[in-house]
Amino acid sequence: MKDRIDGIWEEVRKKISEAASESELQNVKTGFVGKQGALSLLMKELPKVDASMRPEMGQLLNQVKNQVTVLIDEKRTALKLKASEVPADFDVTVPGIMPSSGGLHPITQMCYDLNDAFRSMGFEVYQEDDITSELYAFDKLNFPANHPARESMDTYWIEGHDKGAANEKLCLRPHLTGGSVRYMQTHKPPYRFIYPGRVYRNETTDAHHERAFFQYEALIVDKDITFTSGKVLIQTILSKVFGKHVPVRMRSGFFPFVEPGFEIDMECQVCGGKGCSVCKHVGWIEVMPGGSPHPNVLRAAGLDPDEYTGFYVNIGLDRLVMMRYGVDDVRLFHSADLRFLKQFR
Amino acid sequence: MKLSLSWIKDYVNLPEDTDLKQLAYDLTMDTVEVEDVEFMARRFDNMVVGVIEAVEAHPNADKLRVCKVNIGDGEVREIVCGGINLKEGMRVAVACPGAVVRWHGEGEPVVIKNSKLRGVASYGMICASGEIGLGDLFPATQEAEILDLSAFEVPAGTSLAAALDLDDVILEIDNKSMTNRPDLWGHYGIAREIAALYNLPLAPIKPFETDVPSDFHVEIEDPERCPRYIGLEMSGLSVKPAPYRMQNRIWKVGMRPINALVDITNYVMLATGNPTHAFDADMIQGHIVVRRAAEGEKLQLLNAKELELSEDDLVITDAAGPVALAGVMGGAKDSILPQTERVILEVANFESTGIRRTALRYDNRTEASSRYEKAIDPERCDQALALSMQYFQEIYPELKVTGFCDKYVNRLKRAEIDVDLIWLEKRLGKHLTDDQIKGKLQMLGFEVQIEGTNMHVVVPTWRSTGDVSIKDDMMEEVARMYGYDNFEATPFKTTFDGAINQKDIDLVRNIKEFLAVRCGMQEVYTYPWMNDTYVNAVLQSTEGVLRLSTPPAPNLSYIRSSLLPNLCEAVARNERYFDEFSIFEEAQVFKDGNYTSPYDESEWLPEQKRFISAAFASNSKTVNLLFREAKGVLENMPRYTHMEAFRFEKREKPVWADNTVWLNVLLGDEIIGCLGLLAKKVSMDCGIKNLSTMLFELDSTKFRPFISRTNRFTHLAEYPETDYDISMLFDVNVTWDEIYDAILGEKKASALLKSAAFIDEYRGRQVPPGKKSVTIRLTIGSDEKTLTSVDIEKAAAQVMVKLGKKTGGALRTQ
Repeated sequence: MKDRIDGIWEEVRKKISEAASESELQNVKTGFVGKQGALSLLMKELPKVDASMRPEMGQLLNQVKNQVTVLIDEKRTALKLKASEVPADFDVTVPGIMPSSGGLHPITQMCYDLNDAFRSMGFEVYQEDDITSELYAFDKLNFPANHPARESMDTYWIEGHDKGAANEKLCLRPHLTGGSVRYMQTHKPPYRFIYPGRVYRNETTDAHHERAFFQYEALIVDKDITFTSGKVLIQTILSKVFGKHVPVRMRSGFFPFVEPGFEIDMECQVCGGKGCSVCKHVGWIEVMPGGSPHPNVLRAAGLDPDEYTGFYVNIGLDRLVMMRYGVDDVRLFHSADLRFLKQFR
Repeated sequence: MKLSLSWIKDYVNLPEDTDLKQLAYDLTMDTVEVEDVEFMARRFDNMVVGVIEAVEAHPNADKLRVCKVNIGDGEVREIVCGGINLKEGMRVAVACPGAVVRWHGEGEPVVIKNSKLRGVASYGMICASGEIGLGDLFPATQEAEILDLSAFEVPAGTSLAAALDLDDVILEIDNKSMTNRPDLWGHYGIAREIAALYNLPLAPIKPFETDVPSDFHVEIEDPERCPRYIGLEMSGLSVKPAPYRMQNRIWKVGMRPINALVDITNYVMLATGNPTHAFDADMIQGHIVVRRAAEGEKLQLLNAKELELSEDDLVITDAAGPVALAGVMGGAKDSILPQTERVILEVANFESTGIRRTALRYDNRTEASSRYEKAIDPERCDQALALSMQYFQEIYPELKVTGFCDKYVNRLKRAEIDVDLIWLEKRLGKHLTDDQIKGKLQMLGFEVQIEGTNMHVVVPTWRSTGDVSIKDDMMEEVARMYGYDNFEATPFKTTFDGAINQKDIDLVRNIKEFLAVRCGMQEVYTYPWMNDTYVNAVLQSTEGVLRLSTPPAPNLSYIRSSLLPNLCEAVARNERYFDEFSIFEEAQVFKDGNYTSPYDESEWLPEQKRFISAAFASNSKTVNLLFREAKGVLENMPRYTHMEAFRFEKREKPVWADNTVWLNVLLGDEIIGCLGLLAKKVSMDCGIKNLSTMLFELDSTKFRPFISRTNRFTHLAEYPETDYDISMLFDVNVTWDEIYDAILGEKKASALLKSAAFIDEYRGRQVPPGKKSVTIRLTIGSDEKTLTSVDIEKAAAQVMVKLGKKTGGALRTQ
C-alpha cells in the first residue's frame, strides 16, 4: 500500500507541475482527489489493509491528499498570474504620449527661477514701462550730456518726441537702471528688489547682438552696505542658474551710474576655467556689470549718499539662457519660432 | 588699442622675468581689460635672414630664378623665386619649411613645405614684404618686388623676428574699458599703472626748454574750447623716412609709418596720448589763430574731404583761413608736403565735447579726435612737446628752433577731495592701514595727506578732467589698487517686516503658467515694433500708434498698440512647419495719448499698458471647436488664476474679426478685451494660407486679482445624482444662453435639477433645414432621498416641456 501511495504522490506531483492551464489542472484534481480519483479509490481499499498498518496508512493517505490540494491551489494561483502577464515581446521603447504641448519661453523660465531665488531672500519684484524719457534713461543716471549712448545710433527715440530737453525726449528704455530710480523715488528705503525687463538698443544684429533683449537687475540699498556684499547677489544668481557654486571675479569697470563699477566674470563653464575657444582662452566669461549706485543716482532718487549706499547687478538674461542651453544665436529668442521654443519644456 | 611691451619698458623697467599672463591678468583686474597678449615673433616662426650667393636662370621658366642662399645652417640652399630685384649679396627674408605665409599677400595663410617649382627643388621661399605681413612696414614699390633687407647688417640665419626687432609682445586693450580714463590712451599712461601695480619707478620725461626770442606767436580766441596751444617753429628739416626703430614701433601698434615728420607726431601721440600736428611753416601765412569757424567756411582735409564748416567747429587758421580742423585732422594744403623744410609743430589741448561733435558731424573720427574726446589734461602738452623735440633733434641734428609760443589760457584746476577714513573703511568692509592707502595712491600721482581720520587728496592733472572728482572715486582707486579679488564677500543683513505680497505680479505669472501648463499653449516673445504689412492687415489704422524716429528698418517703424499684428506674423511664419498650435504673448503696448507724469512733473509719458494675447491656429479643427477651445481658455482663466471672472458680450467688433464669430470680454461693465476669429480677408493679407486662427487680447492692467481664495466648499451629495442626456431640435437662431436660461434661469425647470451642460450641437442629415439638434446633459438628484427612475424621467420631462414652451425646442423623433 505504501508503495502505491508513494507512486501516486510522485505521479500527481509530476502532473501538477506539467499542467499548463487551469482546465488541465482541474483534470488532475478530478483524477486524483475527486470522488473517483486515485487517492479516493485507495482510501476505499483501506479496510482491506492489515489492521496494524491501517492507522499509519490512513494518516499517510490524508496527508498526501492534503498536500496535493495545497499544491494544486498553489499551481492555480501561479497559472492565474501567468495568464495575466504582458507578453514578453511588449515594446517598451515605443515613445510616450505627450501630456500637454505648451510651455513658457526659456527667458521667462530663467526669470522665474531667479525670481524664486531672490524672493526667498526677501526681494520684491518690480516691473516698469518700456517707454521712458531721456531724463530717466540718462540724466538721472549720471550720464554726461554728451554721452555717446544718447545718440540715435544707440537708442530708439520716439518720433515726435526726439527733440528738446531731456524730460521731453522719449525712447524705448536702453537699460533698466532708470526704472530703478523710479522705484526708489516711490518707495521708502531700505530697498531690496529685482527688476526683470526688456531693453532696446539700436544695433546691427548678429548671432550675439540683438536690438531687444532681456535684463535682470537686482538692487539693494541700505545703510552700511559694502561693495563686497554684491558678491552675494552674484553668487545667488549663478548658483541658481547652474545649480552649483560658480567662481566669480570682480574687476574694474566703468559705468556712469555706479562708483565703483565692476565687470563681473564667471568661470567659463565650458572648460572649467582652463581656457577654451568659448572664453577666448582666458578661463573667464564676462556676465554682468555691477557696482555701488553713484552718489548722483542716489541723489536723483532722493536719498542722501552719505547715509545710504548699495549694490546693483544687471545681468543679461539672454546670455545666461544661451549658456544654460548652449543656444548659439540670440535672435532666436524673438523669432516666435515654435521649432525653437518647443525645446524648452 | 595696441601696446608694445618693449615700448612700455622705455618708461617702466619691468623685470625680464615678468610673467606676462600675470601682467595681463593684473591689468585686467585693476585697470583695463587686456583682450589679447600676442607674442609677435610667432608670426615669423621659421623665417630667417638669408644671403643670396648666386642668382641663376631657371631651366624651365623664364620668369623664375634659382637662387643659392646661405641661411646660416652651413648648407647652401636652392630656392626658386620669381622676384624681379634679386641680386647677389642681397639679404632677404627666407620662409623655411613650416613658416606661414600668404601668397602675394592675399588669401588664406599657407604653410611652406619643401617643394618643386617647374621641376626644380626649392627650399622654402624668398618673400615679398606683403607675403609675410610686413607690407605696411616695408611697402613694395612694384609688383614681384622681394623684401630687400640688405640694410640690416645681421649674419645669415638670424631669425627674422630678431633681425627686424619684431620679437615683441603686443597687448591689446579693450577700448571700451578705458573710455573714462583719458590718461591711459598712450604707452606712458599704461606704464604708470604698471609702475603702481608692481611698485616700480616710472621714468620721468624731461621737460623741453627754449628761450628763443622771436615774433612768432599764437592767438586763442576761444579759451573754453582751446585751453592751451603750443606752437613751435623750426627749420632745417626735410621729408625722409624715420629711423627704423620708430617706424617699427608705430607699425607694431597698428599705424602706418609715413615719413619722419609725420611719424614723430604719431609716435608722440602713441607714447603720451596727446595728439600733435606738424604744419609746413612755409605754407602758413601770418600767425596762427585758434578760433571758431565761420558758418559755411570751407576746409579741405588731409584725406581730401571737402568740408563746409559750422560755427560750432574749432579751427586752426592762418591769415588766409582755416588750415586744420582742430583736434580732428590737418588740412590738405598746409600739412606736411614732400618738399617741407620748415615746420610749425602744434602741441595743443582741446575741449572734449566740441571735438566729439565736430568729428561726428563730418563722420571723421581719427586717432586724434578719439583721444581728445576723452578729455585730456592740458598739462600733458609738456610731455608731448618734450618727447617731440627729443625726436626732432635726434633725427634732424641740424634743426633750429626759430619760434616758440606756449599759450596756456585756461589753466586746469586739480581736483581736491577730502575722504573720511571711517567712511572709507565702512564702504570697503575692511580696514586698510594709512600706508596701504597712501602708498599706491602716491604711485598713481595723487598727493595724499592724512590727518586723524581725514585724508586730503590732490588729484593729478591727468585724472582731473572729470575722471576723479568725488570721494567715491577715491574709494574706487583704493579698492582697485588693493585688488577687488582680495576683498571677501560679506553677507548683507536684512530686516524682516512681513512677507512679500505682490498680487499683480503673481497674477501675471499664474496666467502665463495657466496658459502654458493647463492650456497647452506656447509662450512667444516678439519685438515691440510691428511690420507695416501686419499693421495694415490687422490694425487697419495707425491712429494713436507711436513710431520710432530711427526704426530698425523702414517698414518696422510703428511700435505696438496691440500684440495681435506680431502674433499673426508668428502664425504665418509657423504655418510652414505646424498644422496646429496655440501661442500667447504678454507684453507692453503703447498709445500716443493719455500722457501722464507719474514720477517727475516735467516728464510726460504716454499710456502704456500690458496686454496678454493669444492665437489658436489649426487647419483641421472646425471654427466651432476652435472657438470653443479659445473661449474655454478665457472662461477658465479667472478661476484658475484667482481673479474676478469675465463676462462675454457682443459690444464693439474688433476690426480684424469675422463678422459673426467674436465677443468682447468684460469685467463688470468695462470692455477689457476681445475674442474672435481672424476674418478671412485679414488672414489672407497676413499671408496665412490654410490655418483658421482664433485670437484673443486682454488688457491685463484691468484684471482684479482676488486678495485671497474666494470659492466655498460644497458638501458632497448624500444621495446619488444621475446624468441624463437629452437631444432636442431648436431653430438655428436659438442660442445656448437662451436654452440654459430656460432650464436653470430664474425659475428652475425642475426642483431636482442640479445642473445642465452643453454637450454638442449638430446640423445636417436627419436635422431639418433651419433647425439644429442640441444635446444637453442634465444632472438630476435630491438632497433628501435616492431618486427612482420615475422621479428622474419626470424631472427630465419637465425640462423638455419648459424648453418647448420657452424656446420652441422639440424632442428629436427618430
